[in-house]
Amino acid sequence: MDAIADWMQSTWINHLVIGYAWTWPTLESLHFLGLCLLMGALLIMDLRLIGFQRIIPLSAVHSLMPVAVIGFVINLVTGLGFLFGDPNTYFINSAFQIKMVLVLLAGLNFVLYYVKVDPLLARGAPTAATPMLAKAVGAASLIFWFGVLTYGRLLPYLGTGGG
Amino acid sequence: MGLLVWLEATSFADWVRSSTIGYPMMIASHAIGMAIMVGLALALDMRLLGRFQSIPYAGLHRFLGIAWIGFGINFLSGAALFAAQATSYVTDVIFLSKIGLVLAGSVTAALLQTAVGRDSSRWAPAAAPANVRLIAIASIVFWVGAIVTGRLTAYL
Repeated sequence: MDAIADWMQSTWINHLVIGYAWTWPTLESLHFLGLCLLMGALLIMDLRLIGFQRIIPLSAVHSLMPVAVIGFVINLVTGLGFLFGDPNTYFINSAFQIKMVLVLLAGLNFVLYYVKVDPLLARGAPTAATPMLAKAVGAASLIFWFGVLTYGRLLPYLGTGGG
Repeated sequence: MGLLVWLEATSFADWVRSSTIGYPMMIASHAIGMAIMVGLALALDMRLLGRFQSIPYAGLHRFLGIAWIGFGINFLSGAALFAAQATSYVTDVIFLSKIGLVLAGSVTAALLQTAVGRDSSRWAPAAAPANVRLIAIASIVFWVGAIVTGRLTAYL
């Protein structure tokens, strides 16, 4: 881990992120905007999966997916910026570690959605009641992503200094 | 100013400021409320501007109702965070700009929610009428501004 941190700190990305006073606050603002895009799209898609507002066809709610992906990519890029800027602080931070595990779980849940739930929904009527698996995957998605948001925000307050 | 000095000296403000869980709890709640309010408001704005045309306007109306839950969370957590540092926040131009932008964003969200509930059955599915689209653009500008100034508040 030390070798990776040393390498990260030797890159031009590290210089860009910590060499200028405005880079970090700019990345933070973009990270917050990205999370709003991601969470807003997820709230509508996942609550619809759970069964809320069935007047929206399932295929229609799916058109929000690009917004979620754009939000996620913004946060992946800006998040990597933070990591390259200050790797030693993040790697040993327990809130960061939990956050990354939750991102992984959210990713696996997303794979489950695409492999199992999406084909299942394609067979039903667009506004029919969703199967139990779809409701479970929608609920899990909201739990994991709100967990990611919570642990991300708690990062400066939890587990700093190797705790 | 006397009122703010008193507010900052209350035991609640002290708890937010210096207990182990007070500040982190309020700051995490504030991020959750922001995601709900701004995330859903931006999704509605984009729909009114002509994105995701297959989603019926009326289908998003109830989600704006959920957005106000986020607003409530942020009103309460924001009040607690304000109490903790009332005297320094109240003279901070960035903070005051943020409050102005949040209020402006909330007014546009309320206007759009009302318009969708009352008139959207008469709108073309492609995009809302020009005056509604104008409010949607203003809403995006206000919320993005609120996020940026809110984040910068931490630096001042």
